[in-house]
Amino acid sequence: MVMPAMFVMHADLDAFCASVEQLDNPALRGKPVLVGGSPQGRGVVASCSYEARKFGVRSAMSMAQAVRLCPGGVTLHPRFHRYQEKSKEVMAIFHEVTPQVEPISLDEAFVDITHLVVKGIPTTAVGGNLKERVLVETGLVISVGIATSKSVAKIASDLSKPDGLLVVEPGHERTFLAPLPVKHLWGIGPKTEDRLRHEGILTLGDLAGQSVQWAEERFGKRGERLLALSRGEDARPVVTEHEAKSLSAEVTFEKDLSDPMAITLQLSMLCLKVAMRLSREGLKGRTVTVKLRLEDFTTLTRSTSLPVPTSHIFAIQRTAQQLLGKELHPGRRFRLLGVGVSNFAEVEQLSLMEPGYRARRRQGD
Amino acid sequence: MRLSCLQENLSRGLALVGRAVATRTTLPITQHVLMETDQSRLKLSATNLELAITTWVGAKVEQEGAVTIPARLLTDFVNSLPNERVDVELTPRPIGVHLQCARFEAHINGADAEEFPPIPTVQEGITARIDPQVLRTAISRVVFAAATEETRPVLTGVKVEISGQRFTLAGADGFRLAVYRGPLVEPVTEEIHAIVPARTLSELQRLLVDQEEPVELVVTPSKSQILIHLKGVEMVSQLIQGTFPNYAQLIPQSFGTRAVVDLQEFSRAARSASIFARDGGGIIRLQVIPGVEGMAGKMVITSRAEETGDNEGKIDARVEGDEAKIAFSSRYLTEVLSVMERGEVALETTTPSSPGVIKPVGGEDYVHVVMPMFVQW
Repeated sequence: MVMPAMFVMHADLDAFCASVEQLDNPALRGKPVLVGGSPQGRGVVASCSYEARKFGVRSAMSMAQAVRLCPGGVTLHPRFHRYQEKSKEVMAIFHEVTPQVEPISLDEAFVDITHLVVKGIPTTAVGGNLKERVLVETGLVISVGIATSKSVAKIASDLSKPDGLLVVEPGHERTFLAPLPVKHLWGIGPKTEDRLRHEGILTLGDLAGQSVQWAEERFGKRGERLLALSRGEDARPVVTEHEAKSLSAEVTFEKDLSDPMAITLQLSMLCLKVAMRLSREGLKGRTVTVKLRLEDFTTLTRSTSLPVPTSHIFAIQRTAQQLLGKELHPGRRFRLLGVGVSNFAEVEQLSLMEPGYRARRRQGD
Repeated sequence: MRLSCLQENLSRGLALVGRAVATRTTLPITQHVLMETDQSRLKLSATNLELAITTWVGAKVEQEGAVTIPARLLTDFVNSLPNERVDVELTPRPIGVHLQCARFEAHINGADAEEFPPIPTVQEGITARIDPQVLRTAISRVVFAAATEETRPVLTGVKVEISGQRFTLAGADGFRLAVYRGPLVEPVTEEIHAIVPARTLSELQRLLVDQEEPVELVVTPSKSQILIHLKGVEMVSQLIQGTFPNYAQLIPQSFGTRAVVDLQEFSRAARSASIFARDGGGIIRLQVIPGVEGMAGKMVITSRAEETGDNEGKIDARVEGDEAKIAFSSRYLTEVLSVMERGEVALETTTPSSPGVIKPVGGEDYVHVVMPMFVQW
């Protein structure tokens, strides 16, 4: 058999925020825990313990509904700072294995483990080892999926939950995916799922059996890609944060906002967040983007490019404010606001002894 | 041990060997100085196990002996004394020294001389002799380019090559390379190749200031140590083991653009640019523009810091080849310019992402290669 080009592990912390709460407060262990916004407002469940899931509670469900389903649950406000700390601990363990770690969120990451498998270490040992280390060193449980591509690895870890380890052996991707409902695939939301159902496509196997032409006629450019994914074909590499093409931050408001002052304040906070992350990464970007979601869920993105790349809070804020200003009409209400900086300027000290190698220079060196 | 010497001489001797006293160490004895009588002189030695320095102070020795004393305490006390005769006497219990000078006296606890790490002696080896001021110049041009990080230990040293009638020093840190070639006082019959810790050479550079007689370098046959023999001072340093990169192949053999400028003008422009570069990622951009119709060419030196401001300096340049631009780390650029002597320097470049070469005009003794910064212009 030909050695596959890569082995990817998708690691996902089980019930992350709720688990951290249970870890920090033993009295919560074994109890249904709901972490999220307040049940009175428009809060949603950010995370819930497995005990709460037995009652039908799911993350992203409104908190009010969650409390109705699980009246005995303990509701807690999220402590993002603490989650960030624990997340860093977990990511640090992954980083000890390889620098090729792509965090997707606080509780999820792709890890490129090709080099370990090539050395002859069995995939189950790599995954089992990391699960063990994360549990011993952080007290948290991860579910792990390992496959030859990112999308299959992610589906494997989703299916393995909780406390799972699922390896999809090379060559078995298509048979693994075939019986699964289409919604398991990244990029297939409820809308796409509906359209597929109308065509009689219920499983990934059904989708994989279609022709490229069929897919393109129905889904345009996206079609070919969906088809490939349904067949387990996904060559996207694990991209570390350093190589990321943009940095952004966004916030969903508890109640839709229309007050320009309140929105501007939120915008400033986001700009600060982005500026700090840029300087931490030693990056400067040329393009500033503002993302707005209206109360009817219409999403607008507006961007502009600066003459020189920047990581400076004032420059980002001034630009973002100008972009936002054009969209603030009386009576217009916003659900979500985001700020991003992209189009990074690469400033690197080139190396004399290793041609082609660039030592990334962080600002302030 | 009982002797007397002049405060001034003792103070100078302690300052000299003090450079080899260990600062952070797990071996407390290396923070001591070894005092021992050596015929009619007082011999002072210190070592941090990498580098040992020994010097002699004229003294009237009444009784032979040896002892080790905490260097810092002894030096500070001696420096506080008036410039008069100091009487030094070993005290057996507790072991230490009693010092008396004018109306001051002190007792300092020490340790038995036997406990002091042996100072390596180099009895035989290949010997080369170099004029002290030539060597001082050579070290100053090369030593700053050596790596300070320990990631590649060989790069924390300077490659010393001695062959025929010449010696070569080369230092590199992965981003830049400095090479100096100079004459020997007399030819050597056997070649010497060694990697000397940059720190040893920096200390040697200080000691060379008031030397007039040729410096003797002796490398042990085992290639593990180098002895540097100066008038009244001896240094013994461990050598760094390993393979130094083949630096000759890192020196570009051709160029697309060569700009000859006045060193002082270039230095001044680089220094003002470095002020803005501080807030702008430490980058200095150089543009070389050939002259047209007999007019002089230009070198434009710029830096910018968003939000703070920017600056531009223009200096005259004799330009061969096409227009060129290249960006350097401001530290790398200002450091190399600051060690060169007055006169003209040449900057040779090929592309914005290939190494730049800086060398004095009219001398083949020095070449500095520095990798540019990859920037968006």
